[in-house]
Amino acid sequence: MTLLSDIREYPWTSLLTGLLPARLAALLPARFQTKSAQIVPSASIAGNALTVVIAIMSFLACLTLGAVYMVNQSANAWVNDIASEITVELDPVNSADIEKKMTLVALFLAKQKGIINVKPLTAEDSAKLLEPWLGQTSALQALPIPRLIAVEIDRSNPPDIQLIKTALSENFEGVALDDHRRWQAEIRTLTRSAALVGLAVLSLVAAATIAVIVSATRSAMASNRDIIEVLHFVGANERFISREFERHFLGLGVRAGLVGALAAALAFLLLPTMMDMLGGGIVTTAETQRLIGSGELDLKGYLLCVLVVVVVACLCMITSRLGVIRVLKNYA
Amino acid sequence: MIRFDNVGLRYGSGPEILRDVTFHVLPGSFHFLTGPSGAGKTTLLRLLFMSLRPSRGLIFVFGENVAELSTSGRSALRRRIGIVFQDFRLLDHLTTWENVALPLRVMGKKEADYREDVTDLLRWVGLGDRIDAYPEILSGGEKQRAAIARAVIARPELLLADEPTGNVDPAIGNRLLRLFVELNRLGTSVIIATHDYGLMEQLDAPRLVLYDGHLQLRQAT
Repeated sequence: MTLLSDIREYPWTSLLTGLLPARLAALLPARFQTKSAQIVPSASIAGNALTVVIAIMSFLACLTLGAVYMVNQSANAWVNDIASEITVELDPVNSADIEKKMTLVALFLAKQKGIINVKPLTAEDSAKLLEPWLGQTSALQALPIPRLIAVEIDRSNPPDIQLIKTALSENFEGVALDDHRRWQAEIRTLTRSAALVGLAVLSLVAAATIAVIVSATRSAMASNRDIIEVLHFVGANERFISREFERHFLGLGVRAGLVGALAAALAFLLLPTMMDMLGGGIVTTAETQRLIGSGELDLKGYLLCVLVVVVVACLCMITSRLGVIRVLKNYA
Repeated sequence: MIRFDNVGLRYGSGPEILRDVTFHVLPGSFHFLTGPSGAGKTTLLRLLFMSLRPSRGLIFVFGENVAELSTSGRSALRRRIGIVFQDFRLLDHLTTWENVALPLRVMGKKEADYREDVTDLLRWVGLGDRIDAYPEILSGGEKQRAAIARAVIARPELLLADEPTGNVDPAIGNRLLRLFVELNRLGTSVIIATHDYGLMEQLDAPRLVLYDGHLQLRQAT
């Protein structure tokens, strides 16, 4: 509760003065200026180097969170796509009249319960699927490429896949059904792995931020020892003294977090253009987009960046508070 | 209000600076603390202000055993005490007005409620034209008066002053003494550490005399 009240009582209107150079800040209206003089001067807390370090940490956190979010979104879309489809594969070898067999299998599938749509793919369609890996070459026509039938299923009333599989193998030779379960499992493994890696990176970023703030707090307290002594003499308790320090770190966290998040947002905005500019070619682009979608962050993704700013600011504030109180115990 | 029972103090393994110090300070009393330089006047004030712990003996401040107080408990008691240091201890980045207002700010009072009080007190101690000045441009005497104003602004129950007239001319010294006496009449107990006999002779107040680590109470003649 004290944390919430501290955040509520923070002089937010004066935050802008901390973001702008002193000359510009002096031009702001009175309500944006700091009301009473700072007992612990800002200049004695930390220099620009600390702001840059925290901004870099926020940037990395936003990039990590954004990337994990994109992979997750892309994987979800992919899983949704393939979960509502099954693929029937016809072996082109030993099939005298593959087109006739395609028609028969498609008709058979269309009669099954829980199937909404059956779409036989032409030989050209099948060949196109291989183009990202083999390129546009006439050799594709010579290859015995399996023929595919895309079958859309009713997810609210799904068919008995095992029954269809058995019926297909009994009635048609060289026909296989793929319900994409293996793919779904692999995609889930991929997203879980990406989330774990992201979590590990975020933990490291948080740990580094905490270490930097702890060090900066100690240094700030050492350079303001005289002020702390005077505050003790006039009866200030630990909370009052820690509040004088932590408000600087909260402001610093918000400023640095905003800079990092804005830089990350800019990076996400430019990512699709950069992917094009780097000219990875059809294969690279297709592979990248398969992994992270279009490479664009949606509104929820940008909100995650805002969340990073809040977390970084709170982390700075809480860490400095605990650091100050710990050092004050030794003073007493 | 204040009770010292057989208090002794030594720094580290050195000799005892204070030995078997025993005395009482009653509410509303006025005492001078005197003795030769190095006798331990400042040390005794620091014990009174709870910024030092005794090596032995018991100290009671406002009825509380100092040894049993938590840090927040000590802070609460310090808010009831005003102290004037020999080296002033003003904050250089705050103006004279802001320095004097500091105890009220620490108490959580609103600036609008004490703005006039602080200005009036600064005028009274002769710093009316130095309200917005920073300590680094104040003279020694002006700093002393600002430090005294800071100590008394919150109307403490106990005022401790270490050589409060050491850097001011006799006229200002007398004026400051009148301020202490006025505070005392309003109920504040006052202990002034000084070896200024001229100052002590102006007031019929008991003297706590420190000599060779021992304390003696001498009634005013």
